[in-house]
Amino acid sequence: MASSARAVPARPSMGLAARAVRLVIDYLPAMAVLVGALVLWEVLTAGPGRRVLPAPSAIVAGFDANADLLTRSAMNTYWEAIGGLAIGTVAGLAVAFATARWVSAREALLPIAIAANSIPIIAIAPILNNWFGVLNPLSKMMMAAMLVFFPVMINVTRGLVSVHPASLELMRSYATSDWTVLTKVRIPNMLPFFFTALKVGTTLSFIGAIVGEYFGGTSAVLGRVILTSMSSGRFDVAWAGILLGAFGAIAAYIAVVLIERVVIPWHSALRNQ
Amino acid sequence: MTNTSAGTAVRLADVEKSFAVQGGGETVALQGINLDIGAGEFVSLIGPSGCGKSTLLRIVADLIRPTSGTVEVNGKSPHRARLDRDYGMVFQAPVLFDWRTVEANVRLPLEVMNVARSEREQRVREMLELVELGGFLRHYPHQLSGGMQQRVAIARALCFQPAILLMDEPFGALDEMTRERLNAEVLRIWARLGTTVIFVTHSIPEAVFLSTRVVVMSARPGRITTVVDVDLPQPRTEQTRETDRYYELVTVVREALRGRLPAGAQDGPAALDGHPAKQRARAEGGIG
Repeated sequence: MASSARAVPARPSMGLAARAVRLVIDYLPAMAVLVGALVLWEVLTAGPGRRVLPAPSAIVAGFDANADLLTRSAMNTYWEAIGGLAIGTVAGLAVAFATARWVSAREALLPIAIAANSIPIIAIAPILNNWFGVLNPLSKMMMAAMLVFFPVMINVTRGLVSVHPASLELMRSYATSDWTVLTKVRIPNMLPFFFTALKVGTTLSFIGAIVGEYFGGTSAVLGRVILTSMSSGRFDVAWAGILLGAFGAIAAYIAVVLIERVVIPWHSALRNQ
Repeated sequence: MTNTSAGTAVRLADVEKSFAVQGGGETVALQGINLDIGAGEFVSLIGPSGCGKSTLLRIVADLIRPTSGTVEVNGKSPHRARLDRDYGMVFQAPVLFDWRTVEANVRLPLEVMNVARSEREQRVREMLELVELGGFLRHYPHQLSGGMQQRVAIARALCFQPAILLMDEPFGALDEMTRERLNAEVLRIWARLGTTVIFVTHSIPEAVFLSTRVVVMSARPGRITTVVDVDLPQPRTEQTRETDRYYELVTVVREALRGRLPAGAQDGPAALDGHPAKQRARAEGGIG
């Protein structure tokens, strides 16, 4: 075909082995840097004595010695963060759909949302603890949800509204209902925006949960474990807690990326061009 | 010319459109537009930017309403014609949806019009064969060139078999080579389907090559200044572009765009249905 200069012929699906090799090659530089950094860290911090930054091996040992408390704490914090992510996402979606659909909702809700977003979230943590009960995981979830809400709401609203005018004219030429425009145009258009927000949200939800825990909670949550370990000079255990928090956030992020690839495969292909 | 006897596809009578301007006043986008387009005709609207040619197309499509005047599309109001899906539309941008494959993009109108599932697939295939993209069903739009994307848009506009095809500078963003190739393709499709085509363009060669009539417009206010009958024989091929008659007609349209009305036609568009323009072109002997 003469005008197909840019057309990509259907790529034969790669074999599993080839894919694995490619994956390794793709991530080799990052892996090398990570391993190098760990080795350097180990070498620089080896030796006796307590350090604010203990050696990786010391952190692993600290984790081993407190494995039960740390894993229980991690599970509780993950639950708070994921719960908060869910609440914040649902609320953000609901407000976004309302603001995209009704101008009156936009006028009523947007200023409030923006005002709410400018509240320094730490300032409100003690109040949330008080409100929902300092021992109730819901108080930490609400903390996380408040952080997640805003990026989800703003991004989803933008995704629903920023549709090419010609797309709307096209749908109008088909004499379709607003509902069809929503399902066939606005929602698919919004999905990449939504996943971007969700990726930001995973990180924020862990920050929200742990910050909430700093202001009080049961003893078996990462925030409390980190605080009490620090004050008793057990920096190895504190760091184990921090790394468990990071691990949870990274796992949640990767989960979102994988879901994104399944739900909007066309988008990752577009981005990788 | 095919099927001209089959009736009127579009009738515009005393159509006017003015837009309110911010800070008071209004711009007259279209004034005194009178035009009948027969079923099966291929009519181009050509003129400088701001002459209202796209506005006129949008009025026919019921995407905007005229300020005054009568518009009939397939003998109905444009609104009724839109609800009946009497026309398909192709824009300057392909307006394909990134999340749909080529196949799914073409299928979109059939989905929203509740065409039976079994029929959809067949029509989509037929249309993609027609625009010679049968091998690209599962590609995504971003994997195609601009010209191919526009062909998908044409297939999408035709898949529900509308009586009228409205094209708003569909090849304006393409390079000259691709444009000429797509011109030939559009003519082939038109000859085969007998669809009435209204084609907005600012390319004189394109308008002359494609059309049975070229409607020349001027700006501020947007008006029809001349209607040039294009009597080039059908089917038109690449050789058509090299005939004297083709050059003559290109010249006629160019002169009309410059505001030089063909002899004996100064009193207005009503008097100009074709022939004076041609005589003038012959008298001037080709390229002026």
